Amino acid sequence: MAKSDDCVHILQGLLVFGNVVIGMCGIALTAECIYVVANSHGLDPLLKVTENSDIYAAAWIGIFVGLALFVLSILGIIAVITASRTLLLVYIILMLITFAFEMASCITAATQQESLAPEFLLKQMLNGYESSDAANNSGNEFTKTWDDLMRQNHCCGVKGPSDWQEYMSAFRATHSDADYPWPRTCCVMNEEQHPISLDGCKLGVPGYYKSNGCYDAISGPVKAYRGVAWFGFAILCWTFCVLLGTMFYWSGIED
Amino acid sequence: MWADGDHRRVPGDKEPQLHSRPGHRGTRTMLPLLLLLLPAARGTVVTVGPEPALTQDPRLEMVTTASTFVLDQPRCVFQNYSDAVIWLVVTNDKGAFNNSMKPGTSKTAFQKFPDEVSAYMTLNVTLPSYPCPKPAGDITVLRVGSETSCAKDMSRPTCNGPLPGPGPYWVKFLALDDSGPVAETKWSMPIMLRTAQPASNISTGSGYRDGMIAITTILSILFAILLAALLAMLVFCGSESCGSSTFSKAESVSVRRYNTHHVYDQPCARL
Repeated sequence: MAKSDDCVHILQGLLVFGNVVIGMCGIALTAECIYVVANSHGLDPLLKVTENSDIYAAAWIGIFVGLALFVLSILGIIAVITASRTLLLVYIILMLITFAFEMASCITAATQQESLAPEFLLKQMLNGYESSDAANNSGNEFTKTWDDLMRQNHCCGVKGPSDWQEYMSAFRATHSDADYPWPRTCCVMNEEQHPISLDGCKLGVPGYYKSNGCYDAISGPVKAYRGVAWFGFAILCWTFCVLLGTMFYWSGIED
Repeated sequence: MWADGDHRRVPGDKEPQLHSRPGHRGTRTMLPLLLLLLPAARGTVVTVGPEPALTQDPRLEMVTTASTFVLDQPRCVFQNYSDAVIWLVVTNDKGAFNNSMKPGTSKTAFQKFPDEVSAYMTLNVTLPSYPCPKPAGDITVLRVGSETSCAKDMSRPTCNGPLPGPGPYWVKFLALDDSGPVAETKWSMPIMLRTAQPASNISTGSGYRDGMIAITTILSILFAILLAALLAMLVFCGSESCGSSTFSKAESVSVRRYNTHHVYDQPCARL
């Protein structure tokens, strides 16, 4: 008798501990997803061009799943301590539904990772960016979006201005290398949106052209987004163990 | 302000002093020597100064591009030849050029390079454009290949047009006056330009795809196990508790104390 008492207490203790961890991780997941959604203004131009709104779907699901995990963990703690079969069954079924949603969010986030990789963005930019003449407003949406991104973040290209030199691009096909080693938007501008010194910009004199790549400007939200996928995966693995333990506990108690 | 051949000014620097005097103080002593040598040296071209080199200081991002490159101006090199015009010779074959070729002819026209001629001459300036010494803080460079407007214009054979291929190219400076070539620098080291790869060479990395496949597989398996465990749990342990022998709830077992009338506790009735 004493032995099985100990077993019960140990199992209860483990399940309570497991639920506490799930609750805290749920809060952390909600916080991270709120950060991604709130800081997405840096990603917005790029997402507009990649026409990818699934990234937000994963983050939004993550917010609600995190809150659900927190609430359910409290329910689980109560159910384990009172050893009520009905409560435990409710807990298990609700947790499985939450598990399914978090699984969807996680897989969506993992699938989108590829479209946020710098190489993918570089290829897109080289193929899509065409004309950077400020006077010519008939440039396509993609080019305008990239110009806005480069102006706002004081950056040029994805990894740096040499992207335009190292690879062939749609821009290079219409603009000669001697006149436009890179688009005019990469030059440091004055208030009237003219380059301070066109020759300095063409030569690459430090101070007259923007030397950072634009990927650094968006790497914060991208890293947080990667966290949504992998942190969610870790939470799900832990939840799996806790749920198995709960099912074992449920089958072992009498009502 | 930024014409090729002029010195570049970085904003914030004071106005540089233009050395407009044709003679430099040091040449006064050299002048008699030169006069002595001149009759003997007519027709001989003097090799002067360091050979042309790509600009190292300041570090320029675009010191070479796909069709241009940037050289240091030949400052303090042609000081003794104040009447000469200094030309830049660009070639893809060092042996094909000799100093008797005249600039501005079809033999040295940019537009015929490289298919019909192996060298062209461009960027002609006179000595006052290269004042000596170089004012500190100025960026004194020559950008070879910057004139795109005259690249196909046969009336401008001395055009400084964009270079047609990745090279290698050799350059040298040549000072010509009315009597012909008088001074030159040595040929530079071979200059290679950049070549651009096609964008399809960029590999988007399979690491992301592997991660996604791993996550999807593992999560699906975990979810399947959970569903199976739930089914087993409900089917086998439906209404009866199936683990009553494993452990029981301590609180549900209550020992009912019977207040037995213990006969044995009563003192024995003395019969």
